[in-house]
Amino acid sequence: MHPLVRWFHTLGSPPYFDRFAARWAPWGYGLGLLVMAWGLYSALFLVPADYQQKDSFRILYIHVPSAWMSLAVFALMALYAAIALVWRIKLCEILAMACAPIGAGFTVITLATGSIWGKPMWGTWWDWDPRLTTELILLFLYLGVIGLYNAIDDRRAAARAAALLAVVGVALLPVIRYSVVWWNSLHQGQTISLLGKSSMDASMMAPLIWMIVGTKLWFIGALLTRARADNLRREQGKAWVAELAGAATGGAK
Amino acid sequence: MSARQRNPGLAAATPGLIGSARALMARDLRLLWRRRGDALQPALFALLVVVLFALALGGEKQALSRVSGGVLWLSALLAGLLALDTLFRGDAEDGSLEQWLLAPVPLGWLVAVRTFMHWATTALPLLIATPFLGELLYLPREQLPVLLASLALGTPLLSLLGAVVAALTVGMRRSGILVALLALPLYVPVLVFGAGSVARSAQGLDPVGALLLLAAGLVVAALLAPLAAAAAIRIALN
Amino acid sequence: MEYQEYIIAAYAVFAIVLGWDFVAGRLQIRRELRLARSRAARSAARSQTSELSR
Repeated sequence: MHPLVRWFHTLGSPPYFDRFAARWAPWGYGLGLLVMAWGLYSALFLVPADYQQKDSFRILYIHVPSAWMSLAVFALMALYAAIALVWRIKLCEILAMACAPIGAGFTVITLATGSIWGKPMWGTWWDWDPRLTTELILLFLYLGVIGLYNAIDDRRAAARAAALLAVVGVALLPVIRYSVVWWNSLHQGQTISLLGKSSMDASMMAPLIWMIVGTKLWFIGALLTRARADNLRREQGKAWVAELAGAATGGAK
Repeated sequence: MSARQRNPGLAAATPGLIGSARALMARDLRLLWRRRGDALQPALFALLVVVLFALALGGEKQALSRVSGGVLWLSALLAGLLALDTLFRGDAEDGSLEQWLLAPVPLGWLVAVRTFMHWATTALPLLIATPFLGELLYLPREQLPVLLASLALGTPLLSLLGAVVAALTVGMRRSGILVALLALPLYVPVLVFGAGSVARSAQGLDPVGALLLLAAGLVVAALLAPLAAAAAIRIALN
Repeated sequence: MEYQEYIIAAYAVFAIVLGWDFVAGRLQIRRELRLARSRAARSAARSQTSELSR
């Protein structure tokens, strides 16, 4: 058997996954934090102010990576969900469900920073512009997945139901996006998009790249952590969990 | 060779697609007849919503007339959402749903037939009531055909999408807000194109594009939604 | 820096949400381990008391 496939199979063993996640999550968090710290520092102090939007455009360096993450995490969640539904792989169920709260968090950041950025730009705290409206609906999709997962007692059935919802959601997301864009053009004509007409100058790109990489690294840490917790929850009552808990009596981990 | 071809005697006993559909429809109509009042509940709820909107917005003709298309669409959507509870609940509670799993016809087919009957019994009264509700909100006469067309295309679409949500939450006792939360993102495109087609006709533009999109969506949903709902029912009952 | 309050608010939201996600994940793990410990303690106590002795 190909070593990669074999490694994938061993990852499916709950105790092995617990060790794997416990080992690598701190790396995800740590590296992500470093890269994001550098990205935010350069976003705040190294990049010159925008001609039109002055300093408020610095919010872009949080808003855009978060928006991308909110969509990327949903796609990843749907991918794990599809694998979990078709091949019934427990690990993919766990990973799919772990994606949901993290993605929801990024969606909240996108909405909040979009709103905060919009206040000096539009004069209002909210604008029904297609991007923000789609993000809001995306948040409802995330909350639906989380809510459905928590509403069913049997963890496996709950994960499979929420996984089905995630797959349906990802299939409908382009339709939703298109309909919102259509709706916006119908009622408001052309709105001023947050980014404006100016395309990004190369000197302004660097912090954005750092932030995009940093959020992804952070996501790996967060995903492994939440997956580890769900894994432990599902395996409650097994001997290896009791051992691990006993070993952890001394220090909190 | 199917089981029915191998054993001719079985053909009479085992229903095919048409036979099972007919049986299911007959049963649903019979159940509906016994509780005739239930069929009017969605229409009644839509009336309540319309009255509340009129009270909240002030009964002034100008203001109501402008929003009438959207409010009528909303009242149909909310009424449908409320009616969704009865789609599978009766069958889940008395064990019929588990019998469906064992039926010789595909589960998706039974779901499709059930959803169609549910739409026919809950949304058709609504469609009939719409012109009257329109009068309450001073809906401009020219917009009525577009509104009816968009509702005729949109309500079955809402029923199909709602069937997936109902299947995901079947058997849950306190599903309440969860059903609404799950349904909302799925309903958004339907509401946008449905109410939007009325808005376009109000603006003097051509609504046919939006109506065609609704029709296309209906065709796709008629094929895929029963499959998704069937998968959800299997997950819930296994 | 112009619009300073807005920038601070946005960056603060970022830090708070990610921070909450970090804490929530860790708390979940700790909670599961705690539950496992109490479960093990309960079953150990049960097996002790159910031992018959003459």
